[in-house]
Amino acid sequence: MLNTLGEILASDQVGFPVLSLMIFIPLAAAVLISLMKDEKQIKQIALGATVLSFVLSLIPLILFQNGTSDIQFAERYAWIAPLGISYHVGVDGVSILLVVLTTFLAILTLGFSWKGINKYFKQYIICLLVLETTVIGVFCALDLFLFFLLWEIMLIPMYFLIKTWGGQRRDYASLKFVLYTLLGSVLMLVGFVILYLNHYAATGIYSFDFLDLLKAPISRTKQMWIFTLIFFGFAFKVPMFPFHTWLPDAHVEAPTTGSVLLAGVLLKMGTYGFVRFSLPLLPEASLYFMPLMSILGVIGIIYGALLALAQNDMKKLIAYSSISHLGFVILGIFALNANGIQGGMIQMINHGISTSGLFFVVGFLYNRRHTREISEYGGLAKQVPILAGFYLVITLSSLAFPGTNGFVGELLILIGAMENSWQLAAPAFIGVLLAGAYLLWLYQRLMMGELNNPKNKNLLDLDRIEIGICTALVVVILWMGIYPFPFLKMMDGSIQFITDRLDTSAAALTENSLPGISSKLVFKK
Amino acid sequence: MTPEIMSFSDLNLKLIAPELWMTLLACVVLMMDVFCPKLSKPKLAYFSAAGMGLITLLIISYGIDGVGGTSFSGMFVLDPLAIFFKVFILLSTILMILASIDAMEKIPYFRGEYYFLLLFSALGMMFMVSANDFLSLFITLEFSTFGFYILVAYLRDNLKSNEAAIKFFILGALSAALIAYGISLVYGEAGTLLFDKIAANPPTSSIGLTIGLLFIFIGIGYKLGAVPFHVWVPDVYQGAPTTVTAYLSVVPKAATFAIFLRVVFGTFLELKTDWQWMIVSIAVLSMTYGNITAIAQKNMKRLLAYSGISHIGTLLIGMAAGTAMGVESILFYILTYLFANIGAFVVVIIFQNLTDKDEIEDFTGLNRRSPLMAFAMLIFLLSLAGVPPLAGFIGKVYVLAAAMHQGLIFIVVVALINMVISFYYYLIIVKKIYSVEPKEYTPIHISTPLKVALYISIAGVILLGIWPNPFIEASVTATSVFTNLMPK
Repeated sequence: MLNTLGEILASDQVGFPVLSLMIFIPLAAAVLISLMKDEKQIKQIALGATVLSFVLSLIPLILFQNGTSDIQFAERYAWIAPLGISYHVGVDGVSILLVVLTTFLAILTLGFSWKGINKYFKQYIICLLVLETTVIGVFCALDLFLFFLLWEIMLIPMYFLIKTWGGQRRDYASLKFVLYTLLGSVLMLVGFVILYLNHYAATGIYSFDFLDLLKAPISRTKQMWIFTLIFFGFAFKVPMFPFHTWLPDAHVEAPTTGSVLLAGVLLKMGTYGFVRFSLPLLPEASLYFMPLMSILGVIGIIYGALLALAQNDMKKLIAYSSISHLGFVILGIFALNANGIQGGMIQMINHGISTSGLFFVVGFLYNRRHTREISEYGGLAKQVPILAGFYLVITLSSLAFPGTNGFVGELLILIGAMENSWQLAAPAFIGVLLAGAYLLWLYQRLMMGELNNPKNKNLLDLDRIEIGICTALVVVILWMGIYPFPFLKMMDGSIQFITDRLDTSAAALTENSLPGISSKLVFKK
Repeated sequence: MTPEIMSFSDLNLKLIAPELWMTLLACVVLMMDVFCPKLSKPKLAYFSAAGMGLITLLIISYGIDGVGGTSFSGMFVLDPLAIFFKVFILLSTILMILASIDAMEKIPYFRGEYYFLLLFSALGMMFMVSANDFLSLFITLEFSTFGFYILVAYLRDNLKSNEAAIKFFILGALSAALIAYGISLVYGEAGTLLFDKIAANPPTSSIGLTIGLLFIFIGIGYKLGAVPFHVWVPDVYQGAPTTVTAYLSVVPKAATFAIFLRVVFGTFLELKTDWQWMIVSIAVLSMTYGNITAIAQKNMKRLLAYSGISHIGTLLIGMAAGTAMGVESILFYILTYLFANIGAFVVVIIFQNLTDKDEIEDFTGLNRRSPLMAFAMLIFLLSLAGVPPLAGFIGKVYVLAAAMHQGLIFIVVVALINMVISFYYYLIIVKKIYSVEPKEYTPIHISTPLKVALYISIAGVILLGIWPNPFIEASVTATSVFTNLMPK
């Protein structure tokens, strides 16, 4: 029998609905802002809302109970009762850090937007705030319908962010982004509905609730179908090879803040979905598809890295590096053991921090020079030493240098993958090497050498807000790199829960072995 | 069998009181127009709307008190389903009257008769949703369509409007003939025209019955504008005055669905194997053809016409499911469609009142000219596309869940692919509306009645998405009339 999840209500833990407040404060601020005209007031309200949301997200982080798999700070209200849909939110080890990451990056992106948005400032801030609400909501939602709802709404502000404040090919990129994601998510919806109907068939009760769905047994064939369907939803979002083609376009055309949020948190929604839903709900299918998923992950790592090496455009290079890094996350998650999953989860946070940092750096340069061509730059370190310094730390974090956060994640992933199968882990090491190559080469081409281009002679170094953004990122990078223990500890309970479910299924599989899963892989568990 | 003798005291007139009041209201409006020429036409419109508001309250009170039963030897029925649709028809007619006031002030002749004709068509449809045998079905269907023939041709000097009316009329007459012929075949097999009696004594499946049903379905297919009986739809929608198009795109469709539901579920449920394939194929064709053709449209009204065809296809999915959940989902979906589609048309009406243009290109930069209209259009289009948390999303999920319960995976997949396609052309409009480089900057002024119509539609679209419970419950109550349906 598979184990199930319990939950601790927010009313017992803090006495007030901390998650709902955190989710809806940005939305409320957006509504308020839509009625206002004065730019200064808009800025104050937006800043107040994001900071408040961040502070609220620290409460569950600090009060988080380690060592349990229970959902914490849960809230549950009936919503569309006839269809078994409820408003149910909560956090556990899988989601808590992602929630804090989102609120954290929201402040930084707002800081970046403080100056330099020269058109439709009000609408821009509204888009950012609505986006924040939906993304936090996605990470907190425990009702599949609510999850899907927020997942879809998220497209709208992102569409407008790219379309209105984007680069030259913004129309094309925004439409492509929306249609690709939508295609994946409608298939995911079918998967969810099959889960829902399966629960109805088993218990006679309609429910989209994650905790309820965990209790209903799902036959092996159904698991395969559901896994395949929701795979499309998540894979388009991650994006996994071969569903990645929208990402470079969206990243390149999006404004800096759009890119930061896209890379920092939106892509994580896909990998989060695998950990949150696919693994615990569909353990047998996860075991069955493990080799395929790992191979796709490895292809993503190598392919993304090779393409990154060939780019002339800074943003495109970082976009492809994201594909490569998220390949690592997938590889870790689908190692299906404690180390791999933990590595994948911590790497989601790391990638959120380091890639956001890279996009910020590109944004700083772009704001000054209005070009993304790498060849336009060179030798900037002498001109803008502070930028160069911060950029170096962020680069090292992104290529997983020991002492930075990236190292912890990649190490765990590689250990997990090796435990699983060395054949799959071996190519990933090449990916680590390649990451060093393209990131350091980019750094060299931008920062080192002689300052040849006369246009760069008058570049200004970072101002106070920009230094603030970089400092915040660097502090997190070093903290998580040097003392990651508290973060890893938070995840343990949830990982234990997921691996237990996987182990129970694996044991059941060895009893009546399923063609397609090599017995070797199963015995390893 | 001795013929039943009907006396006046047998008639339960309370059941048709709303229709009687509606008749009176329509006649009073017509007379007021004739005998009080100084009375301004907007006042006439407000009077009609207020009268209909009272009638709506009467019907709602019937619903609460549980008034119901049959009258006229069973030809007329008042049950929760009829009440649901009557409220629907009246509310949307009120909405459309509000939306028509400005447009009517622009045409030089017969401005008062317009409201009379709207009321009269609404009356026809109120009878239609209460039709309980094939004869009253036929009569009421023709009765309601009759008003529309005139309304479509309302722009007398406009060639397109005339063309539209003639097309509409010829195909309407054709479909009426098909239905009449189908009814005669069904009568030959079943021996009665009353729905209840056919259901109580289901005839065995036979060639005559199948062909009869096929004819009736084709006739209804014409009225609904489902593919392959859709050819008149785009031309009529484009040629008719926009206010009429808006009305035509929602209300007669809903009323036709009501009798369709009665024919299919109240009468011939036993013959599911005979009709299910017909409905599935019509649904697939309508969705796919409607959506793909919509992509190529340059005219806003034509685009909405094609998107309407695809929505009819989606509604038919719920029908193909053939369960109580399927019917509930249809009723709920029609509600979501009402607000989103009428809302979108209201935006077009406002725009046309000012500019006389309705090409999609003309809407470029609407955001700068009227942020309210742009935002409203965004909400309506996203709801039509099925984006959460708006009404259309819940409707689509409901319909698809009903179909999946029955294992109709193929049609669900087709519907989902169509959802993505439809998203494309809706987004193209959004893109134009929120364009950064508008051609014109003149602000658009929105008059009060139109603003009210716009706000009601926005509220409906958002409310049905966020708090659909009462509406789902209403759909469930209305569905309860089909007692023989499987629950899921």
